[in-house]
Amino acid sequence: MHFYMKRKERKKKTGSSPRTRRGKLVSAGYLLPSAVGVLLFFVLPFMIVIYYSVVDNPISGQFVFLDNFIMVFNNSAFRQAAVNTLTFSAVAVPLAVVLSLFLAMMLESKIPFKSQFRTFFLSPMMVPIASVVLIWQVLFHYNGMMNEVMGFFGADKVDWLNSSYAQVVIVVLFLWKNLGYNMILFMAALSSIPKDIIEVAVLESAKPNQIFMHIKLRYMSSTILFVTIMSLINSFKVFREIYLLKGEYPYPTMYMLQHFMNNTFGRLDYQKMSAAAIMMAVVMVIIIGILFLTENYFGKDVEG
Amino acid sequence: MNEFMLKFIRLKNIIFISVMLFILSAALSGCGKGDGAGDGRPEYVYVPEYVEMDMECDYISCLASSGDDVFLSVSKWDEETGFTTNYLYRYNMNENKATRLSLELPENSDVSGMAPGADGSLIMIVNNNTFEMDEEGNVKDSKSIMEIWKVSMEDGSLLGSEDITELVAGKSDYAYVQHFCVDGQGNLYLSDGDNCIHIIDKEYKKVCDIDTGDWINNMAVSKEGDVYITSYGSEGLQLKKVDLAGKKIGDSVAGAPSGYGTQSYYTGVSSSLLHSSAGGVSRVDTASGTVETLFDWLDVDINSDYVNYVGELSDGRIWAITRNYEISGSATNELVFFTRKPSSEVPAKEEILYGTMWIGSDVKRNIINFNKTNQTYRIKVKEYGNDDYQAGLTQLNADMTTGNCPDIIGLDGLDYNQYANKGIFEDLYPYMEKHGMDRQDFLENVLEAYEVDGKLYGIVPCFQISTCMAKTSLVGERSGWTLTEMLDFVEGREAENIFDYGSRSSIFYYCIYNNIDEFINWETGECSFDGEGFIRTLEFAAQFPEEYDYNSVQEEGTSSKLRSEKILLMQGSISSVQQLQMMRGVFGEEISFVGYPNSERQGNLVQPTGGSMALSAKSKHKEGAWEFMQSFLSEEYQDSLISEHGGWGFPVRKESLEKQFEQDMKEEYYEDEDGNKTRQPKTTWGWDDFEMEIYAATPEEIEAVRELIASANKTGGNVDEQLTNIITEEAEPFFKGQKTAADVAQIIQNRIQIYVNENR
Amino acid sequence: MKQGSDKNSSSANTALEQWRKQVLRKKKIKNARTLVRISLATMAAAVFAVLFLMPIVLTITNSFMSASEISANYGQVFATTDSGGKMYISEKVNLKFIPDMVSFSQYITVLLKSPEYLLKFWNSVILVVPIVGFQLLVAAGAAFGFTRYRGRVKEMIFFIYIILMLMPYQVTLVPNYLVSKWLHVLDTNWAIWLPGIFSPFAVYLLTKYMRRIPVSMMEAAQIDGAGEWQIFRKICMPLCKGAMCSIAILIFIDYWNMVEQPLILLSDAEKHPLSVFLSKINAGEIGLAFAVATIYMVPPILVFLYGEDYLVEGITYQGGIKG
Repeated sequence: MHFYMKRKERKKKTGSSPRTRRGKLVSAGYLLPSAVGVLLFFVLPFMIVIYYSVVDNPISGQFVFLDNFIMVFNNSAFRQAAVNTLTFSAVAVPLAVVLSLFLAMMLESKIPFKSQFRTFFLSPMMVPIASVVLIWQVLFHYNGMMNEVMGFFGADKVDWLNSSYAQVVIVVLFLWKNLGYNMILFMAALSSIPKDIIEVAVLESAKPNQIFMHIKLRYMSSTILFVTIMSLINSFKVFREIYLLKGEYPYPTMYMLQHFMNNTFGRLDYQKMSAAAIMMAVVMVIIIGILFLTENYFGKDVEG
Repeated sequence: MNEFMLKFIRLKNIIFISVMLFILSAALSGCGKGDGAGDGRPEYVYVPEYVEMDMECDYISCLASSGDDVFLSVSKWDEETGFTTNYLYRYNMNENKATRLSLELPENSDVSGMAPGADGSLIMIVNNNTFEMDEEGNVKDSKSIMEIWKVSMEDGSLLGSEDITELVAGKSDYAYVQHFCVDGQGNLYLSDGDNCIHIIDKEYKKVCDIDTGDWINNMAVSKEGDVYITSYGSEGLQLKKVDLAGKKIGDSVAGAPSGYGTQSYYTGVSSSLLHSSAGGVSRVDTASGTVETLFDWLDVDINSDYVNYVGELSDGRIWAITRNYEISGSATNELVFFTRKPSSEVPAKEEILYGTMWIGSDVKRNIINFNKTNQTYRIKVKEYGNDDYQAGLTQLNADMTTGNCPDIIGLDGLDYNQYANKGIFEDLYPYMEKHGMDRQDFLENVLEAYEVDGKLYGIVPCFQISTCMAKTSLVGERSGWTLTEMLDFVEGREAENIFDYGSRSSIFYYCIYNNIDEFINWETGECSFDGEGFIRTLEFAAQFPEEYDYNSVQEEGTSSKLRSEKILLMQGSISSVQQLQMMRGVFGEEISFVGYPNSERQGNLVQPTGGSMALSAKSKHKEGAWEFMQSFLSEEYQDSLISEHGGWGFPVRKESLEKQFEQDMKEEYYEDEDGNKTRQPKTTWGWDDFEMEIYAATPEEIEAVRELIASANKTGGNVDEQLTNIITEEAEPFFKGQKTAADVAQIIQNRIQIYVNENR
Repeated sequence: MKQGSDKNSSSANTALEQWRKQVLRKKKIKNARTLVRISLATMAAAVFAVLFLMPIVLTITNSFMSASEISANYGQVFATTDSGGKMYISEKVNLKFIPDMVSFSQYITVLLKSPEYLLKFWNSVILVVPIVGFQLLVAAGAAFGFTRYRGRVKEMIFFIYIILMLMPYQVTLVPNYLVSKWLHVLDTNWAIWLPGIFSPFAVYLLTKYMRRIPVSMMEAAQIDGAGEWQIFRKICMPLCKGAMCSIAILIFIDYWNMVEQPLILLSDAEKHPLSVFLSKINAGEIGLAFAVATIYMVPPILVFLYGEDYLVEGITYQGGIKG
């Protein structure tokens, strides 16, 4: 510690030397290839999307200002998709965080075959989506396994994929796919909580739930936020499974924003797709912004 | 850390960054070079040159090439004597000189194979059929002999012959050869196109029979003297070498062209084999499995459907003999040479891209004619739907919206209505006016079918009417009905089926899909798939098998079932007056064209038969594209569509249609020995069990056709696959008896509602 | 050891000693509880493990069923007609883990009879491996750039990266088509590679990891005269090795499953990866689908088994520094 402190002091003296400036330049150079590529393959396309969103259609290219946004916003399919997507993320993401934390704690409680279990929980990541979908169909089809099992217990058949239960099915699918990775993130965070702090807490007769609430959760706050962001990203990817399960137009409760974009894309209504995408991006900027501010706040709290 | 180290580290910095930049620049530029062939013109092109063959020839029955000489066994029909004569020609490709050789074939003989022998002679397979007649002139007994003739290439004198009937026919009493080759050693390979190759040596002794396992599609001898065959495997055609030593067929040649469709191989000159497919011509090197594409048929103005033979000359030129069929039915042979030239020497024309899912034969013929004659423009074809319809459609859609839209879009196989509303197509009325075409010259209702808000987005040179027919005595005189009326009618009767071969899907197509907008109110966004009409249709369709079992024995023909009212309706297309005459015959009484169920009782649909196309609003060559498109509407072309016995659709130009009608009404007579004129049938038409002689149409029949044509003012839109998929998928549990019709209708309603909301 | 120290304890230590014994007693009681808790947790974990493993096991075992067994088991779900018009419908769905008769017929079809599957498998490899490699390379540089000399501009750029990362791919697919066309890479593998290589995903993750390396560590090295390359090479790279591996696994799995990009950007179906085929498989080929899926799972499983320790290690390190 002392050693570093000394270095720091010395550095301050040479604060904005030509060397630092050169360092800045060089570090920017490291960034350059990626920046150029992102500019070309992500920013530029996004600019084109913005252009599409303000013209009546890409072919005639007539400027219509916000008409597309108004049209899309008033479109009942879009609204349904937005509500569904929000509901799904609002349900699935917290569940993914809580359940994976639970799994992590379970594995961290010194159970045997820990590493084997870890591998098992990660295994869904390896299964190709297409065969996941096959299996899910066998399970949740009207004539599928779930209904057979429920029939065994005397329950009525449920049309899982064509009723309000559809959301449940995809939440389960999402959790099944993503819990493993989240769990690993949490396990890492749990194992890195300084042991002495917990020991001191134990010595001071802190109750386990107190330890959990006040020490573990606080130390993991940044991991929790990271897991939340990753889960959010992955919650948007669930579209592909729904798409493979039920095609372009699933039962309304499974109809996501990506369906809307995918379908309008397929029907050449790029202006609609673009407007929807930009609205989604705006919402995303807000959500991510909030998450970031929260992370900064909590992160400082722990480190300080 | 010393000065040197620092420098070294800086150097590493620079190296790392430059490596990264290199990756970037290589990624951006290098690849562009490698695969940028799509743009600009290729370095070399093949230029066609058409040659008149100075031969007396109607039909080429066999052809063999040896060096730059080609031997043709041809037949010529003599109108005066009514006999066909066979000749053998030697045609020198370099001098374009035909020499008739002295060889004469006996009566009732034909040549079924010809190939240059290993010793410089020409080997021919000659079939001779002899008939024994009884006193009344009926054939009592026929005998077929197959002989091998060895003929001098110089003068055509017969050098020897051998009867090989038994060698080839084996146990059967009929010898037939479809493929014939002579390998480098002089062994003869004969095959009947089934799965056996007979191999005979120079002395006409049998070497062996090889079983190929699959049907032989094609057989050719390579430049090296090996014999190859093609047959269908799981991946389409496969090229395999005949292994004479092992008396078996070798493994398929890796890298050789595969796929389906017409493909032929010919002996190569600069490579082992020459390959010709529907696409184009390529050289195949069998040893390395490499393929060098030479040209596409369309780029050299050749209709690949007409190509009969292809060959290569010692100077590298490629030749082809084509048989060109006119719409009228006559055909001529043409010899074409293709010379490789640097593209800088060939005058560049403005290219117009014709994009379509797949190209129809009429459009193809017109494109070739246009390219041959037009000095300014050249039409290139891009077929999107060759491999995978859905992928092709995605591609076409992407091209349309990203400004790479083909100049002309062939509408066949596309949902015209979906595109018409998107501003993709150009209004064609201004072009018609500008070029002095009066829209009143064309059938208004057909134009109307391709109109949106008074703008014409597509042209249809000829069409048929897709409809549904029923006995007038049953349905009354009407030209349309609603779904309820139709269901009431059918359910009130004890018929076996409503259509012959009726299945659930065909009933859905009839009741729902052809007029699916009936169930969707695009104004309010409401759907009525949970309504009475749809549920009733579901319940109605449930009586029918999911798929018609075509293997079941048909005791009765369609006509007899219709007459006895075992089936009630018949879906079909009327493309000529004769067809209407026949349909009346099939039913045995007066018929009504009720069409597809529709709330306005207007269910007859215009269906293009000779292509339909639209002009891209973004095209840079609109004038040129229009020049091509208007050729379809020209008097000359429209008149060429008139045919003696109909069947190819009605021309859209009113005058041409009238001329067609006149033709249809013209009586045909024959004169007997006494000079009496007797009315005779124009043609014979048949349907399933039914056959009738068609005489000249009566004015009443013409009037009926006119009425039918006038009743159609919509195109049969291709129903969006999305919708049929949803309905098929969700209706299934009802058909299996697991859910009620109302339940599945509700699910269908819910899913389609999303579709409708999204598209509003 | 502890006893040894007890012997030498002085009176001043007696109080502490007693307190320690008290704690030990508490611990014993706790041990019994812990045992119960551990066995409960193990059971719960086992239940979860079964649920999690089921699909993968099903896929593998079902791939050894013959076509007729598959259709007998799943006829109700994937009702279909074969070419002869015969219906494959069984009375019940039968989720079976063990085939009645082990049949390699699906594998024979996939591996021997139709080379297209192997070809498509190879296409997948060709498409995915360069993306993983180069995306990591580019991302390592970018993450380093984002880590060193953080300033407002860089933070802004980084935020843009995050937003772009979160965009559904459908949004930029058409513009990507345009860009590919413009660069003359349409219908070539480059059309897939380039956007993949420059994807912001790895940059985001790696930056997250790299920023947790204490600044002081790099600064110290800098003072010692190390240049940026040395800091990158000698400090960041070794510390991020695990993270890079875990990111590589994520990218690999992500691109291994891609479907839409090849469909749009590669018109030539012969260049499509196996994932496209798998997603389009129709009801008549369910048995085949299981076999193809099993084969398709092999690389991810290998990558996983090989990289799992890195995956955990990489993440642990991240937590470690943070903690």
